[in-house]
Amino acid sequence: MFRESKNVPPETGEDAPITAAAMEAVFADCYDYESRELHIGGREANRVRLCFIDGLVSGSDVAEQIIKPLTDPGRFGGEAVGSRAISMMLGGSVYVYTAKSRKALGEAVTDLLNGFCALIFDAERTAVTFEVKSQQRRSVDAPKEEKVVKGAKDAFVETMKVNTTLVRRKLRNPHLKIKEFSLGERAKTAVTLVYIDGFTNAGIVAEAARRVSRIEAEGVLTSSVIEENIVDNYRSPFPQVISTERADKFCMNLLEGRVGILADGLPLGFLVPGTFSQFMKVPEDHSAHYLVSSALTLLRYASVALTLLAPAFYVAVAMYHQEMIPTRLMQSMIDARASVPFPTAMEVIMMLLAFELLQEAGIRLPSPIGETVSIIGALIVGQSAVEASVVSPVVVVVIALAGIAGYTMPNQDMGSALRLCRFFLVLAAIALGMFGVATGCGLLIYHLASLESYGVPYMTPFAGAEGRHLGRALLRRPMTVKRDREPELKTGSGGEARL
Amino acid sequence: MIRILPTSAVIYGGRAAWLSPVPALLGGLVLRGVYRWLRRTAPEGAGLADLTVLSLGKAAGRAMCVLYALWLTFYGGFVARSASERLLATVYPNGGVGVFIAVMLVVALITASGLTKTLSRTAEVLMPLLLAVIAAVLLSALPDVASENLLPVTYLDAGSILYGALPIFNVLSAFAYFLFLMGHVEPPKLTRGNSFPWMVLLVLVAFGATFFTLGTLGDKLAISMENAFFMVIRNIRVFGVVERVESVVVGVWIVTDFIFLGAVIMIVSELWRTVTGAKRRAAFVPPTAALCAAAAFFISPDAFDFQRWSDFIIPAINMTFTLVLIPLPLIAGKLRRKY
Amino acid sequence: MKRAVLALTALGLALGLVSCSGMTILSNYRRLENIELVRTITADAAPEGVTVSICGAAGKESGPRQYECSGPSMGVALGELMLMPLGRDAILSHAESLLVGEELAKTGMDQCLDYMERFSETRLDTGVLIVRGGRALDLAAGLTGKETPAPDVIAGLGKNISRMGEGYFFTCREIASSLAQNGCALVQCVKGEEGEKLFEERGELDIRPAGFAVLGTEGGPAYLTEEETLGTLVLLNKFRSKNMDLEVEGTVLTVSVDRAEAGFEPVFEDGALAGIDIALKLEANVICLTGDGALTDALYRKSAEEALSRRILAAVNAALRRSRQLGADFLDLEGVVRRRAPLKMERSGESWAEVFPRLALNVRAESTLLRTFDIVDPPDVAGEEENRSPWEKLIESLNGS
Repeated sequence: MFRESKNVPPETGEDAPITAAAMEAVFADCYDYESRELHIGGREANRVRLCFIDGLVSGSDVAEQIIKPLTDPGRFGGEAVGSRAISMMLGGSVYVYTAKSRKALGEAVTDLLNGFCALIFDAERTAVTFEVKSQQRRSVDAPKEEKVVKGAKDAFVETMKVNTTLVRRKLRNPHLKIKEFSLGERAKTAVTLVYIDGFTNAGIVAEAARRVSRIEAEGVLTSSVIEENIVDNYRSPFPQVISTERADKFCMNLLEGRVGILADGLPLGFLVPGTFSQFMKVPEDHSAHYLVSSALTLLRYASVALTLLAPAFYVAVAMYHQEMIPTRLMQSMIDARASVPFPTAMEVIMMLLAFELLQEAGIRLPSPIGETVSIIGALIVGQSAVEASVVSPVVVVVIALAGIAGYTMPNQDMGSALRLCRFFLVLAAIALGMFGVATGCGLLIYHLASLESYGVPYMTPFAGAEGRHLGRALLRRPMTVKRDREPELKTGSGGEARL
Repeated sequence: MIRILPTSAVIYGGRAAWLSPVPALLGGLVLRGVYRWLRRTAPEGAGLADLTVLSLGKAAGRAMCVLYALWLTFYGGFVARSASERLLATVYPNGGVGVFIAVMLVVALITASGLTKTLSRTAEVLMPLLLAVIAAVLLSALPDVASENLLPVTYLDAGSILYGALPIFNVLSAFAYFLFLMGHVEPPKLTRGNSFPWMVLLVLVAFGATFFTLGTLGDKLAISMENAFFMVIRNIRVFGVVERVESVVVGVWIVTDFIFLGAVIMIVSELWRTVTGAKRRAAFVPPTAALCAAAAFFISPDAFDFQRWSDFIIPAINMTFTLVLIPLPLIAGKLRRKY
Repeated sequence: MKRAVLALTALGLALGLVSCSGMTILSNYRRLENIELVRTITADAAPEGVTVSICGAAGKESGPRQYECSGPSMGVALGELMLMPLGRDAILSHAESLLVGEELAKTGMDQCLDYMERFSETRLDTGVLIVRGGRALDLAAGLTGKETPAPDVIAGLGKNISRMGEGYFFTCREIASSLAQNGCALVQCVKGEEGEKLFEERGELDIRPAGFAVLGTEGGPAYLTEEETLGTLVLLNKFRSKNMDLEVEGTVLTVSVDRAEAGFEPVFEDGALAGIDIALKLEANVICLTGDGALTDALYRKSAEEALSRRILAAVNAALRRSRQLGADFLDLEGVVRRRAPLKMERSGESWAEVFPRLALNVRAESTLLRTFDIVDPPDVAGEEENRSPWEKLIESLNGS
């Protein structure tokens, strides 16, 4: 597992015996690796080596809880050497709540990397590791990307333990299982599978565990490493994994029977299976009045149609189907187009690209500059383009409408996928008019219908559920009405999902 | 369907043809019952093609399957041509029929290459959309509907209503073809094949089309028109926002043609798979699509000739297959306890 | 994946072919800014065949436009006009009205209607008008002002004509449907009159309704008089309102007839259709009273109601007479009878052509004056009104009724 060094003879394999020299060899050229010699009970003869990674452990905890009792002659005097000392440490003579005895070098190294410190007994080929993690971590804060209006404001952070604690605090249930995996050939990132045992479909849990354990990557440093490795169809631009930074959303989905995935270092939780209707929901749906929530959900679906179809529809109508435009509007459009030098197709594509450029510039730049760019782009450049007759005002309105509708998507991955499809539909409309739009839409729906997530049809309940439970996706029932479980997730003892 | 339905139903059923979807649905349900009875004792995983082979024996059964495949290939071509003619007559008068046939068959090729369940799920999403669009559009046409074009209806019209149900029943009877996709094609759970909701949906569309065409144009004018339904759609204004929405309706309708065409190609490929004993049907999809394209191009030289095909010849052959040629061998096999 | 790439490549190729080849969808492409929006089409007889003109809408920077062209038929002339010399594409999909000159209406009405129904761009709800006593082209030109296009003036008449009780804009669909069902159809006629040019932006002419024409009769359209047109409107239940002066007991009472409904009841004798009882229900409101009338007087009101009934009855009878005289069932009486008594009609077995000339058509009318609005009786300008209290007037009116 570890690279052999030409200068250090000790064995440094995964199962190699633990010695101070071997540990030094493993962490050779590691600036943050620290080790020092300690005298147990203050006696020079009883030597032991303390190793830790600086920054990962709390220095004061090491000094107060380990070094102080260990060097106290009153506590570790007389016969307290070797295995006797180890036994005393594991028995509680050192004030650390987690202490582990390690015989294999690999285990000790992993502990060190996880914020433990190790006391190495060369003669016994043993290390005792103590959890003394540093508390230097980002504190739990309100979510940055998923705004909360009325709801819990604790978002996931980069530390796994904090995230699991957030989940555990919301779901105080012994059946909430958190299964750990170590991923990444080199990074050894801790990834956990979170589910409610006996409730979440066992088939989905097993499949998720299989896919997570089979992830082959150097390290899990970005969300795509998890997402693209655990979805059914990674070629599809449509998201099939629900990712959220909100702990409440994560827990709500666990309660619906989904399997959660948390990765150390990522302030996100992932949930499977992901279905189209799930990406149209926000946790606020459960906070607002049910009629308001239902109306907003319907509005989001209308937004999908608008963001996808508005530019394509405009192109088709303006190029081929002018008969559809009412007389007065038609006359204004003709007047507006009269001084624009570019054909409609070019005009729309140019505006779509400009919109994407502005958006990308707004995201990439630091927020004050980004906002300025957006304002300059949207207001000044847009206005000037219209006044200079580079584009017609109708096109600006159509593209802006489509763009704004796209922003209502609760999931930005879904928004991006729809933006991508918007381009294809515009091209189809340019080539074939309304026939092209229909063809494009048909293929798009066919693609969505072909997707499955962990055996659950992606378009459920619109397809694959025989028309049942359609209301669940579009409307929210009052909380006083007993909620049915999501049938497609086959929770409880309802049987296995097809995989 | 929409090309022939309102006009054909009105030709046969006259003023009362808007009631014809009701007996057509009843007829469809009876036919569905017959096919259910025929499949009740079928061995686990056996499709209609397997049952035909079981009933008639290997040689005769396979010959029958070849006949079905040839007819359905031709039928697929007819569907593609029909959709193309509709596009030409309504929205793209200056276009060429070949363009539409080519695009339609490429899309059908893509859909037919996938799984049956994907196609059925696509239909599940699209059919309600189609219904919603048509309902919204037709409701906007409600002010143009004159009751004097629809009423009175008396018992004397019973015969006409039944007669008018024939073209609608003809469309409904095509569900029999989809039974070729049942059985071992995919696990039975994935293809439940509940045709009842589809029949109701089709009948609702047929009712809407016939009701509004008759109510707006009257029976005599509707009969004289080639695309009576689209003539009605042509005059619709939706809340003063859009006018003449025929391109939208034609567009939405064409998507259903894609699905139907994809399904037909899939069925034909499945039949060839049964005949040849091949393991997978994928290899038969491209040649079937090519043959459909050829049939679509050469079915008739002009729109007048094509009208004859769509009004009389195709419905007659279709009914012969769905009512006689497909069930008859199965009935014989069932009575002779072949399965 | 390979299959998907192949399929998408094939689709791309198909789309590419579609976009690039000549006989494709692209030939339907029109640049929006090149479009000439046609709202009114005129057609007139000409030595070459037909002269057509198209009237566009007024643009932001251009005034109203009208272009004309002649050809052997309407289709050819319009076809040439649509490839306009100015390089603009005329689009007929927004045509609201078709004006046909009287001369062309005599012989060429069928080609106008056929063109409008068959051509995929035109709508079936385009209003069709026959221009009496002149050319449609001239009327459209006369209506066009500096800023007001002719289609606006025609559309204005279309909106108000029903409310004026002087006609109804029949659309291509209604005309075609009526021709198919009854063998005849009604068309609104209009005429141009020199009007006072009160506004600079208005044209030289004003458009006025000129009764109905009946298509499907021998020797070209038959034109109905004003009275026959009124009767036809009432019998077709297309009457919306009309102001009319009634002479009642030496006074002139102006009423607004707001409701005129015709109810039909076929009468069968020995299994054969013998006649139709037509019951008219009229409702009116008082607009103005000139003279010495007393609306509080029930007898006066009754006289006024009878006067109204007489007026409408005369119009209805005139329309019925004309229908019989022309042998054209433009009032759709056959349809009415078949709807009211379908079984009896079916059993009688007689054709309408045989029955219609000998039918007894009994028309009766029942009129009601609904309200007088704020002023009950006219103001006593002459000062002859006796000094009575409102209570006394009320008691008198109650005694009277």
